[in-house]
Amino acid sequence: MFLLKDINLTIKQGEFVSIMGPSGSGKSTLLNVVGLLDDFNEGEYHFIGQPVHQLKEKHRAQLYKSHIGFVFQAYHLIDELTVYENIETPLLYQNVKSSERQAIVADILDRFNIVGKKDLFPAQLSGGQQQLVGVARALVAKPKLILADEPTGNLNTKQGTEIMELFKQLNEEDGVTIIQATHSEKNAAYGSKIINLLDGRVEK
Amino acid sequence: MIRNYFKIAFRILWKNKGYGFLNIFGLAIGIACTGLIFLWVEDEFTFNHYFSNRDNLYKVKDRQTYDGTTYTFDATPGPFAPSIKSEIPGIQNSARSTWGNSVLFSLNDKPIYEQGFYVDPSFLTMFELQFVQGNAQNAFNQIHTLVITESMAGRFFGVANIRENLVGRTLKVDNKEDYTISGVIKDLPKNVSFRFNWLSPFKIYEDHNKWLQSWGNNGVVTYVEKNPGTNAESINKTLYNYVEGKQKGATAKMSIYPMNRWRMYDSFDNGKEIPGRIRFVNLFSLIAWIILIIACINFMNLSTARSEQRAKEVGIRKVLGAGKQKLIRQFIGESIITLLVAAFFAVIIIYISLPAFNILVEKQLAVNISQPVHLFVLLVLTLVCGIIAGSYPAFYLSSFKPVSVLKGIKLVKSGNAGIIRKGLVVLQFSVSIILIIATLIIYKQIAYVKERDLGYNKNNLVFMYLQGNLKEHYRVIKNDLQSTGFVQNATLSNDQVLQLGSNTGDFVWEGKDPSKQVLITVEGVSPEYTSTMGMHLNYGRDFYPDGKSDSTNVIINESLSRIINKKNVLGSTISQGDTRYTIVGVINDFVYNNMYGPAAPLILFSNQSNCNVLSIRLKPGVQIPAALSNIKTMIKKNNPGYPFDYNFVDQQFDQLFKTETLIGELAGIFSVLAIFISCLGLFGLAAYTAERRTKEIGIRKVLGAGLGKLTTLLSIDFLKLVFLSCIIAFPVAWWIMHNWLHDFEYRIQISLWIFVAAGLLAIGIALITVSFQAIKAAIANPVKSLRSE
Repeated sequence: MFLLKDINLTIKQGEFVSIMGPSGSGKSTLLNVVGLLDDFNEGEYHFIGQPVHQLKEKHRAQLYKSHIGFVFQAYHLIDELTVYENIETPLLYQNVKSSERQAIVADILDRFNIVGKKDLFPAQLSGGQQQLVGVARALVAKPKLILADEPTGNLNTKQGTEIMELFKQLNEEDGVTIIQATHSEKNAAYGSKIINLLDGRVEK
Repeated sequence: MIRNYFKIAFRILWKNKGYGFLNIFGLAIGIACTGLIFLWVEDEFTFNHYFSNRDNLYKVKDRQTYDGTTYTFDATPGPFAPSIKSEIPGIQNSARSTWGNSVLFSLNDKPIYEQGFYVDPSFLTMFELQFVQGNAQNAFNQIHTLVITESMAGRFFGVANIRENLVGRTLKVDNKEDYTISGVIKDLPKNVSFRFNWLSPFKIYEDHNKWLQSWGNNGVVTYVEKNPGTNAESINKTLYNYVEGKQKGATAKMSIYPMNRWRMYDSFDNGKEIPGRIRFVNLFSLIAWIILIIACINFMNLSTARSEQRAKEVGIRKVLGAGKQKLIRQFIGESIITLLVAAFFAVIIIYISLPAFNILVEKQLAVNISQPVHLFVLLVLTLVCGIIAGSYPAFYLSSFKPVSVLKGIKLVKSGNAGIIRKGLVVLQFSVSIILIIATLIIYKQIAYVKERDLGYNKNNLVFMYLQGNLKEHYRVIKNDLQSTGFVQNATLSNDQVLQLGSNTGDFVWEGKDPSKQVLITVEGVSPEYTSTMGMHLNYGRDFYPDGKSDSTNVIINESLSRIINKKNVLGSTISQGDTRYTIVGVINDFVYNNMYGPAAPLILFSNQSNCNVLSIRLKPGVQIPAALSNIKTMIKKNNPGYPFDYNFVDQQFDQLFKTETLIGELAGIFSVLAIFISCLGLFGLAAYTAERRTKEIGIRKVLGAGLGKLTTLLSIDFLKLVFLSCIIAFPVAWWIMHNWLHDFEYRIQISLWIFVAAGLLAIGIALITVSFQAIKAAIANPVKSLRSE
């Protein structure tokens, strides 16, 4: 019984990769493994030169904290925090000083044009706006890699397009590596490379 | 970072107002209880702290052995104090004192009884009394002088006038002589071992009681101030045979006992010190901790139960880089904040309940929140509770795996948490049930002793201390009283019947074992004593009414008769020194002094010369107020100038059980609190469980389950827990109460129905608490609950 088998992937910095496949094919699992959230029983995983499989839990946490940002299908914002506080949270866990935090968050709010919404709670935002905040949060610690698990799954067409355009911009202008898991062929087309998964294996 | 925690903590509390309220309310009550008891314990432990040199102050203890048993008294011979001061190098100062005298003072026809002592002048300096007028060195230069407290001064001269120069003014004592006020002192605080309003030179008392001059008579209290450099042990070595060295045959063994132990430990059994009041202090402290722990358990339970709501947040935070450490700190921080809010409300609760608590424990406790010690204790308590109570939920919550929670996998694996939660509920209810059982048994024991046949009739019996002419005019007064129609009989005695104070080991009789000394209570009475008291004469006769013919005849009690162990005790003699007495009657034992024990050996003498108490038996069925009013008129007619100060024997009797009654009341209050807090927790848990099973209930309803079945379904788990609590609580409660009862010779048997009653009560209360939630869930519209999925 396996979730993923015989996966051999190399992803270069700056790539925009889409992982496609039907439900249950292992897309989320693959993303979780890449994002250091899940373990694997066999094989090797090198992330920016570090052999992750040999690292201790603490070291691994350090890696994904500083280099990886996550975007979820269900946004997963913390309901009790405002937009500002949600975006700020990763910086708190990196022990960034208060004044620096303010500057960074202000920057990103600006860039995403949501300054006016910074004191609202997630419940007061539309789906697209929430996802926007989710992406902002993923970016705030300046990660090298963004992992997006069906980022437009809960959005309508217009909102979805906005998010994908944003990803494209981040990839082309800021050089952020993006790996997304998606159903949609349209979304997959934004990437430079497509990987197909079926029942835990890469489909050739 | 901390500001972030604060914000989240408050928003989460606010979002779940219901549970937040339950939590905070329960915690506030727990902290308030602990606070009140802390104030009580603090008052006890700072007893006598008014005296700054208390480390060097001692009281002399006197041990006498009779028939193998050693009794410990506070009574010493008159010459003892001056003698040890001059002869023993380690003793810097000594002072004698009486035990407390109620004396009538009057100023211009205003007579008031005031309590005070006759003391040596050294007493005034040894105990650092704060003189506002006069001074300690000169106050007793003249013999008929008085040092009075400010409150006594206020009663005689008017509160507004106590700043006037009162030194030199006089008060009439006992309607006879004028004493001059030589000093006014500040009233002592309530938590000291002395209670007096006046002090007068010991010499006055000494001159009236020449018997005090003998080394063989122990009649006064001696206080000692020890040299700080000397060891108390060495002084005690010298004191051990000191009295016998002064007079052969005076076998009392003396030792000094430190002031620091007077309040908590001054209790002796067979010559050895046993724990005294410290037992209560420990008991109440234990109860305070128990209540607090129950409240904290609630907090832990509710927090973990609602953890599923926080699961998603935990997952997200972990993904965003929060380590376990940071999460634990966050959740403990939230606990501490909740505790701080609870502490705030607790202080309010303490303020509100303190007046009633003060009445209950008869103290003058004050909150004094600004006092550093109090503030410190409150903060430390809050922090410790926050950390401990918050740690379990914190560790539990921070262990969630991010991947699982974000996928929305329900935490079915709540196995461990569920068991711990159940265990905590069982613990809470076990403690509550134990407290309920304890309360029931304590009250039963008190009622049992109060109903004990004392061997005389304690109802409708009034007594008063003789003042003025009452003793000389006794016969006349007795006739007058009986002529009112309200009084059946009257009698004189040395002491009031509940507390017979004189005893001696000097009596011998034919066939007595010379090596054993038997301690016998001696009481001088007028001839109508046994009939007035309602005592039963078993053999022989009562005293002759003339009061003179029986000058060498005595009546003994059954207890002494058994010890003498003669076939015909009537007619045999018993001697004290050169005086021989003939036993003419044996009365049935009556209970005195120790209400729980058997009657000690006793001799009644037909001798009124040392009588201090007049006892009056009211006719059965009379109206008490009318009777008292008539008696008052009669007494005042014969003894003008003295207020009519009387007591009812049965009321005095009830007073003897003040401590036990207090314990009973406190046990009752604590059981109520414990069960209340436990139910708060149960209520929250039941609400939460019902919430979690909304879908299941909806489905069952659709399938046809009725209200009864659903209520049972939701309640049965909790009731099983309470039932388990009963099983655990019963043996523990039995063991504790069995040990407590064992201290009382006269005691109840623990009966089964008490346990049954306590168990049913607990189950009943739990049922009501839980069924409210169960019914609410059961009548909800199933469509709503199913649609939300």
